[in-house]
Amino acid sequence: MIWVAWRRQRTETLVTAALLALLAALLVPTGIEMASAFDRDGIGACLGAQPGQACASSLASFNARFDSLDSFIAWLTLIPGIVGVLLAAPLVLELEQRTHRLAWTQSISRARWLAGKLGFAIAVALAASLVFTLLVTWWRAPIVRIDGRMDQSVFDSEGTVVFGYTLFALGVAAAVGVVWRRAAASLVVGLVGYFAVRVFVDTWLRQRFLSPVTSTFHLLDNGPDKLRHAWVFSQYPSDRAGHHTQIPLGLCGPPPAGGGKPVIGNCLADHGVFMHATYLPASRFWALQGIETALFGAVAILLLAFAAWWTYRRAD
Amino acid sequence: MTAPVHADGLGKRYGSTWALRDCTLEIPEGSVTALVGANGAGKTTLLQLVVGLSRPTDGSVMVFGADPVGDPSTVLQRVGFVAQEHPLYRGFSVADTLKLGRKLNPGWDDAIAHARIEQLGLPFRRKVGKLSGGQQAQVALTLALAKRPDLLVLDEPVASLDPLARREFMQSLMEAVSEGGLTVILSSHILADLERVCDHIVILANGRTQLAGPIDDVVETHRLLTGPRADAAAIARMHHVVSERHTERQTSLLVRSNGHVYDATWELHEVDLEEIVLAYLVRDRSASAEPARSA
Repeated sequence: MIWVAWRRQRTETLVTAALLALLAALLVPTGIEMASAFDRDGIGACLGAQPGQACASSLASFNARFDSLDSFIAWLTLIPGIVGVLLAAPLVLELEQRTHRLAWTQSISRARWLAGKLGFAIAVALAASLVFTLLVTWWRAPIVRIDGRMDQSVFDSEGTVVFGYTLFALGVAAAVGVVWRRAAASLVVGLVGYFAVRVFVDTWLRQRFLSPVTSTFHLLDNGPDKLRHAWVFSQYPSDRAGHHTQIPLGLCGPPPAGGGKPVIGNCLADHGVFMHATYLPASRFWALQGIETALFGAVAILLLAFAAWWTYRRAD
Repeated sequence: MTAPVHADGLGKRYGSTWALRDCTLEIPEGSVTALVGANGAGKTTLLQLVVGLSRPTDGSVMVFGADPVGDPSTVLQRVGFVAQEHPLYRGFSVADTLKLGRKLNPGWDDAIAHARIEQLGLPFRRKVGKLSGGQQAQVALTLALAKRPDLLVLDEPVASLDPLARREFMQSLMEAVSEGGLTVILSSHILADLERVCDHIVILANGRTQLAGPIDDVVETHRLLTGPRADAAAIARMHHVVSERHTERQTSLLVRSNGHVYDATWELHEVDLEEIVLAYLVRDRSASAEPARSA
């Protein structure tokens, strides 16, 4: 059955491999370049407690060079969806072309056939996810040291969530496909459904997974350690108790020429202005990843189980 | 000894329409049975129930004494099936298709499979989708035969083929049957395709079994009675009147007789199988109020 599953799924598996190879061809050279720039410019030293004089300019030039690439990474989140949906195609095509009548009248039971077919698709989905997440994690390593990994545009391309997403896309397309039995249409609907759910989770649900930390701090601590690399939901000037305050215009006058911030900070602090922030600290990254992976993974398992059950019971 | 196929009150409903209803029949071992009926008569439904692709709504079907849906591992190994339009993986080469057969069937006989493909002169590396319809049907038959089945089920195997391919396919089938030990059921809406190979017949119309039995008996018991215009009631008391036709002066009845017809008013004629089958199909079409479901 494994040979049959592979042979029936060869095209989709090879397309997936090609997609990942393309991704690697893009990420590996730029990743090497970025890592060497990071070392050469001594960016690591700039991230310590006492950054040197040259740090501002080398950080700025590093960011200028690689920020656009990093925002490109945000688009890569399309790939788990496409791969997952693609891997559902062999099952749906089997029903659309009615070749299941051939497969199910050989000597193996329908249950074993389904297990082989879905098992192979799941295995390829997981392997592709692994390659994808390792590639992106390796590529972003220097940027993570500067910006952390809570940035919402790239949160979904790293860690374990990729596994959940790919399986979920596979599950949606398979569940729609076994009922509808139209491969092309089901794949499109699966992809649209996948992105609808993803957008909902990204923009609404994820920030509700964990209760955020709130903190009121002195303005001079602008960017205290706890806010470093954190996912900041909101941040505003407040009084000592954390209530929102309006800063009267011209309270501290224009900044003096050369090095403005500490002076303004001092002035505002003298007037009792603090900063209030609601955020998830960087340490919650894996908790967030775990919840989201479990959520998508569980829904994916339900969808795949439904697709298997429906095929097993209904198709004749 | 358990019969290869034993159906008892077998029924299958799709939505509110019965595709097959109250079908009771037994296929004897070693027989070659023609399953005849108009399109939509329930032939495909019956065959899919036999090979376990569908589950019955009503009644039961046993294949070699086992339930094809509940116990597929017992049944499937002994059954070769060629579905309507002989589905194959079009992207597979002929060799891949045989490999699939080998991987999925423990009783697979690779020598038979290769010998058949070579005999047919099919290139092993050619994609199945690039073969002609007749060649595809032959590959599908090879796949079913190399399983070494005890029961071979063919659903409209030649319906989509041209006359030459039809003849070649039936030739292949006859050769396989002549080697013995094989029970065959094949369906068609064209009797002429089947008559030469089959020794048993099952006539289906509107989801019901009209007649089932050895072809010789069927031909032997059916007679066309002609005589002066008369009511069929007297005959109908003794024998089963399949169809009646009246002209102004004459009445002709197709009768399934219980023994001899001792009535001097009627002239007896032998009828051939095709006429008998047609009589059953026509009768049912006119009698039926139920719309036929397309298979």
